[in-house]
Amino acid sequence: MIDQMLAASPNLMNTFLFFTIAAAFLMVILGFVTYAILAERKVLGFMQMRVGPNRVGGRWGLLQTVADVLKLLIKEDTIPKLADRPLFILAPVLAFTPAFLVLVVIPFSENLKFADLGIGLLYYIAISGITTIGILTAGWASNNKYALLGGMRSAAQMISYEIPLVMSVIGVVLLTGSLNLNEIVAAQENWAFIFIQPVAFIIFLIASIAELNRTPFDLPEAESELVAGYHVEFSGFRWAFFMLAEYVYLFAMASLTTVLFLGGWQPIPFLGFIPGIVWFALKFILIVFIMIWIRGTLPRLRADQLMSFGWKVLLPLALANIFLTAIIKELINSF
Amino acid sequence: MSGELLAFFILSLIAIAGGVMMLNLTKVVHMVIALVFTFLAIAGLYVLLSAEFVAVVQVLIYSGAITIIMLFGIMLTRHDDRTEAKTGKGRQWLVLASVIAFFAIMFYGIRNLSLGEQATTLHVKNTEQIGMLLYSKFVIPFELVSIVLLVALVGAIILAKRDDKEKEGESQ
Repeated sequence: MIDQMLAASPNLMNTFLFFTIAAAFLMVILGFVTYAILAERKVLGFMQMRVGPNRVGGRWGLLQTVADVLKLLIKEDTIPKLADRPLFILAPVLAFTPAFLVLVVIPFSENLKFADLGIGLLYYIAISGITTIGILTAGWASNNKYALLGGMRSAAQMISYEIPLVMSVIGVVLLTGSLNLNEIVAAQENWAFIFIQPVAFIIFLIASIAELNRTPFDLPEAESELVAGYHVEFSGFRWAFFMLAEYVYLFAMASLTTVLFLGGWQPIPFLGFIPGIVWFALKFILIVFIMIWIRGTLPRLRADQLMSFGWKVLLPLALANIFLTAIIKELINSF
Repeated sequence: MSGELLAFFILSLIAIAGGVMMLNLTKVVHMVIALVFTFLAIAGLYVLLSAEFVAVVQVLIYSGAITIIMLFGIMLTRHDDRTEAKTGKGRQWLVLASVIAFFAIMFYGIRNLSLGEQATTLHVKNTEQIGMLLYSKFVIPFELVSIVLLVALVGAIILAKRDDKEKEGESQ
């Protein structure tokens, strides 16, 4: 259905339809964010032998996040007197908009996708870079040294880890011969790329956690040294937007990992009768759980360790992986 | 009015507004943010011209990497710098005259310009075509560019390294 709509000629009716679908999708994302935060708190709680939220909304604390968001909505909106006012207002928008924009290219199942871009993968990487500007702007506009330090760290980290992230994916692109995410999923019909490109998968997972600013790479908002990093001066709904951007990126990155390495909606052999969207959801939840698991397990890195790990370990490994993949592909083609 | 024309007007408006704001704002950080909007709008114009690959690379390199490096440089150095208008009346008239002259020459130049027939197959596998051309017809310029980049990289490392050694020499 979406394929037909994408090819249809633009008119008011179609515009309205697309708008409705996008709004519905935004609601789905907000639902995911609400329960991802709850799941994260619950899983971390169990890992640390605590109970986690269990008061609001029954035994499982199902309404805890809803209550938290409500609290944020009615909180006072403060802008520091010496802050750079226009940039302070613009920063959360600049950080959040790309987070939602990148979701356009991700194919959730054969039929459920929003755009069929030939350069889907590059689009994701390019657009997600704009968030860094938002974070840097936030750190700058707050006129606060902790915020500025957090913003700087975030920018340095995101630029350094974007390179291994892109390099690790090139192996997959070489094997598929396309940057289109739909074709990448289609190429994994028999074997998911996690089995063919295991090194790339590990590099991608590490770099994606660093891109998401999550523990063990959460230096930009290291509570114990920087108070809260770039969003220390933000309160109420502006702060909520930064959190929202962070969790929407978690959604996007987990989806991208699923699509690139776990075969997207492709079923495990002999279980093809289960619809694709269920497979996608299962693989997606597995990735999200691994991210939470890593957060509960590993301590934070030091800034210099972070940089040397990115440039001296991940990047050479990713380059070696590209080299090997290219050689093996040529060898297979020549026989 | 077609949707393409509407998109073109909106994007070019953003691009021009970003450029004008970059010239007129006083704080350096604000200028860079205005520049980001210009870069993004230009990427949008590339999409309208069926050059998705160029558009995405524009976002990746210009709005992503270069702007962040610029912001970094500004924030770590003279971040309170403001530009002050100190141009005289005579210079302003001179600028106005040259703007008019430039417009006249450009208008004369493009008045009779015919762009020929529009290509209709630009959007078909254009990324693949760019790759093919880069590695077959334009392989030597492509390699030359990469050597230039390599030299710049080595130069940056040498500049960064020398500082360290001098400091070590001082401390000994």
